[in-house]
Amino acid sequence: MITFEGAAKIYPDGTVAVAHLDLTVESGRTTVLVGPSGSGKTTSLRMINRMVEPTHGTIRVDGHDIRAQDPARLRRSIGYVIQQAGLFPHRTILDNIATVPLLLGWRRRRARARAAELMELVGLESAQAKRYPHQLSGGQQQRVGVARALAADPPILLMDEPFSAVDPVVRTSLQDELLRLQRELRKTIVFVTHDIDEAVRLGDRIAVFRPGGELAQYDTPERLLAEPVDEFVESFVGYDRGVRRLSFFPARGLSLRQDMVFEAQDRVERAREAVVAGEDPWVLVVNERRAPLGWVSARQLTEQPSGLTLGSLDKAPFGHTFDVATDSLRAALDAAVLSPAGRAVGVDADGRVLGVVSQEDLGGAIWSVTE
Amino acid sequence: MNIMTLLVEWFSDPAQWSGPAGIPTRLVEHVYYSLLGLGLSTVIAVPVGLLTGHTGVGGFLTTSLANFARALPTIGVLFLIVLLAGIGLVPVVCALVALAVPPILVNTHEGVRGVDPGLKDAALGMGMRGREVLFKLELPVATPLILMGMRTAAVQVVATATIAAYVGVGGLGRYIVDGQARQDLSMLLGGSVLVVALAVLTTLLFAGLRRVLVAPGLRAEAAAAR
Ligand SMILES: Nc1ncnc2c1ncn2[C@@H]1O[C@H](COP(=O)(O)OP(=O)(O)OP(=O)(O)O)[C@@H](O)[C@H]1O
Ligand SMILES: [Mg+2]
Repeated sequence: MITFEGAAKIYPDGTVAVAHLDLTVESGRTTVLVGPSGSGKTTSLRMINRMVEPTHGTIRVDGHDIRAQDPARLRRSIGYVIQQAGLFPHRTILDNIATVPLLLGWRRRRARARAAELMELVGLESAQAKRYPHQLSGGQQQRVGVARALAADPPILLMDEPFSAVDPVVRTSLQDELLRLQRELRKTIVFVTHDIDEAVRLGDRIAVFRPGGELAQYDTPERLLAEPVDEFVESFVGYDRGVRRLSFFPARGLSLRQDMVFEAQDRVERAREAVVAGEDPWVLVVNERRAPLGWVSARQLTEQPSGLTLGSLDKAPFGHTFDVATDSLRAALDAAVLSPAGRAVGVDADGRVLGVVSQEDLGGAIWSVTE
Repeated sequence: MNIMTLLVEWFSDPAQWSGPAGIPTRLVEHVYYSLLGLGLSTVIAVPVGLLTGHTGVGGFLTTSLANFARALPTIGVLFLIVLLAGIGLVPVVCALVALAVPPILVNTHEGVRGVDPGLKDAALGMGMRGREVLFKLELPVATPLILMGMRTAAVQVVATATIAAYVGVGGLGRYIVDGQARQDLSMLLGGSVLVVALAVLTTLLFAGLRRVLVAPGLRAEAAAAR
């Protein structure tokens, strides 16, 4: 547990980097510090490993005032990941990762063996071990940065915008990787970002900072999106926070319609009957393995002669599907919005269609969970 | 007679290759003074440069001093020290040190100071102490620049060690001084060729040192930046 007790940093020139911070970071959880530029996130983070000394207040790690510890020794027990990775250009990847174990006096062989273990853990191929940092992509360098921070197995991990310099696709995969690692390792992670989406994805708790180095709100992501304490937080989390909140509710509870799903060899007249009986103007056509093929509209069904198979008709693309077991309401809504039929296709883990959700059903579900 | 035949004649005279005035002796003397000058300069300039570069203290003072030393005429230094300490090895080495310290000092200082602050931040954040930051990060990263400073210094020292002849301690400069005095063109040319060859060899030596001392990661990085 890390506690800030009235911690503040006021620079000699009068700049208030952090005004007065009371914050408790729980052990084994990811706490995200988020806020606009200059709001004191980095300063707060760096107070934890004494890279910045607070001018007021106290910071404790598991109850012990960190000022009682030698800064270098304290830092060796806290992993530190920065935006530009900060890898030593003259050292191989393996030796970069082995840095802290070597500082702690491990033998070179043991440190390198440990480094090799970490490369695997963060998803780097062992062929990269002998390479130099400049030979790696930005995303790979960040993985090395994370591996290096974890090498001596510190209980605490400080991460300052570690993923903001890579492109969005790589960023998402690095975030997934961090989530997976954290499920395995259960570190106390303090993560700085100015991207609210990243905060919501990664954080168990989110601390929103406002300009002037004040803590505006400290809450779970769900509560932050549901109940921003004031206008600043509300505008910071964005006016689409309602939609974003849907990612906390599973799609599992949606009622899926099967009566609107037909196989490609079924005939037009059967689908025509279903459209009348089901009072719905769209049917989904699937193949024999129940993979979706596309949508057919009621108009097509009335215009096309009986006897034809549905497989022979032109179909509107089904857009993207949602996984009923694992996806959220947000994913289902997104699938419906992007579908030309305005309906979402729910599939199982193997991509087989389980049913479709109409907009009314989706609306009802959203309405009931966000009540 | 053209220059080539003059040179060939001079070099092929067996008298040149033995005795206290022979090429081997002169060459050894010359190399010895050069090594002494360069070695002393390195021992002085690298630690000072590392210290000022690492701490940022005294940087202005040392670079100013180095620039001042650069402006000194080497011959002037030589005769000044001769007046103070008499004829011999001391004035030669002092003059060479005054010549070689500035490029090594400035490059070491700039090399250390120029290390990416993000890297220093990472080093400190991982728990390195000042000394560890210096020797595990700043020195290795600054090595290419330090070597470049040493190469510049070494070439100048090899070329300038000819002044040893003025104070009667030999070296390849002997040929040049005597050649001029006796109006012996082939001797003058022969001595010059030897000095130039030694300077070229020095450059090659530093290319080799760079291969050995600079981490492949840095070499390739510099190549990519070019
Ligand atoms: N050494 C310093 N001297 C004076 N002011 C400083 C110093 N370091 C930081 N500050 C100021 O402190 C404030 C907080 O800085 P900090 O780096 O913590 O912000 P941040 O929230 O991390 O911002 P960003 O998202 O841009 O990284 C800023 O206004 C900054 O200019
Ligand atoms: Mg910052």
